[in-house]
Amino acid sequence: MNSLIRFLSRYQYVLLFLVLEGTSLWLLAANGHYQRAFFGSFVRSISGFVYSQTDKLDQYLELRQSNLNLAAENITLRNEVARLSYALNEYEHSPRIDSLNGVKYKFIKAKLVNNSVNKQHNFLTLNVGKKHGIEPEMGVISNNGVVGIVAAVSENYCTVISLLNIDLKISAKLQRTGYFGSLYWDGVNYRQVVLSDIPQHVQLTAGDTVVTSGYSAIFPPNIPLGIVEEFSNTGGNFFTVKVNLISDFKRLDYVTVIQNIQDEERFTLENTDKNG
Amino acid sequence: MVKDYSKYVILFITLITVQLLVFNNIQFSGYVNPYVYVLFILLLPYKISGWVLLVLGFITGFSIDAFNNTLGMHSSATLLMAFVRPYVLNRFASRDNSDKTGIPNIANNGFNWFVQYTILMVLIHHFALFYLEAFTFSHFFVTLGRTLLSTIFSSAVIILSQFFVFRN
Repeated sequence: MNSLIRFLSRYQYVLLFLVLEGTSLWLLAANGHYQRAFFGSFVRSISGFVYSQTDKLDQYLELRQSNLNLAAENITLRNEVARLSYALNEYEHSPRIDSLNGVKYKFIKAKLVNNSVNKQHNFLTLNVGKKHGIEPEMGVISNNGVVGIVAAVSENYCTVISLLNIDLKISAKLQRTGYFGSLYWDGVNYRQVVLSDIPQHVQLTAGDTVVTSGYSAIFPPNIPLGIVEEFSNTGGNFFTVKVNLISDFKRLDYVTVIQNIQDEERFTLENTDKNG
Repeated sequence: MVKDYSKYVILFITLITVQLLVFNNIQFSGYVNPYVYVLFILLLPYKISGWVLLVLGFITGFSIDAFNNTLGMHSSATLLMAFVRPYVLNRFASRDNSDKTGIPNIANNGFNWFVQYTILMVLIHHFALFYLEAFTFSHFFVTLGRTLLSTIFSSAVIILSQFFVFRN
């Protein structure tokens, strides 16, 4: 017993050191949530106060960076506002019902989600589908003219045959004289299409406006398409007219899908006519 | 005597505060993390009892730990430093001050002595601290580099502080 006490008194510092060091290492190694929670609650009350005070100082010192961040955010928001007000403007000014020529059209706003101009058979994809009342064969226009015709529809999307597709022909007429022909893309220049079947006796002038004829039931009449650039009569009895498109297909964003409400009635009538 | 106690309390609070608010934010390229709070252990009087010395070492480290969320790390390092302090003091026993009274500072022991004492003690502390922090020997030399660089910086700050703050 005596020797034990002597041992303890001799090595008391070493023992204390070992006990305390063991405690610290346990705290360090265990490093779990228990220790953190146990000591954390009383420390956090102090450190929380201290750090909130120093944070005030930090905030002041970092004002410059904060300002820069806020300015950047401001610009983002400003752009967003501009974009949204533009969209709202478009929406409010787009004709909802057009009763021209006794034909009723319904317009559905859509946004392009895919587009191409660099192929011979270009297609576009819109973010509207069956759900929104889109059906195949509906016309698609933008503010600057015809875009194409709906080819296929899924639940939420539809594919549109672009006017820039060498397979698509639409009926178009010269606004000034009223002669009509068919308009198609020759697959060369995405800003230029060809109007064919214009008889040679028609007085043509470069700068004439070409509009939709309204005969096809897909597009309402008098939607501007393009401006006559040049014409040649190499094709026999008819002019081949080069027409510069008004709309830039590379920059299409929002478009309008046209639903012909009386399409079915007209379809039935025309078929009856044929049969009769 | 009471005056001495209050002096150490003020020193303790000041060092912990300065460490947490100033020196914890100094991190040159991740290699230099000065820990100057160990000055508190360095400046404890010669005549302090071993128990008090160890407990104070533990408490000092633990205070830093508590605020840094590194439970046990600074405690063990500072405790180790407090534990070896008597041996270091014995080894560096200066001839002028063999009776060992007062405080081991520049005024009592001279500049050279204090520099050696500081560097050795800080090195012991930082060595333990940085290897506990890394908790591995796999990046031995990286950790060693951090230890040595931080030791130089901490020691420099501690020694300079003796001239500016602790004049008396």
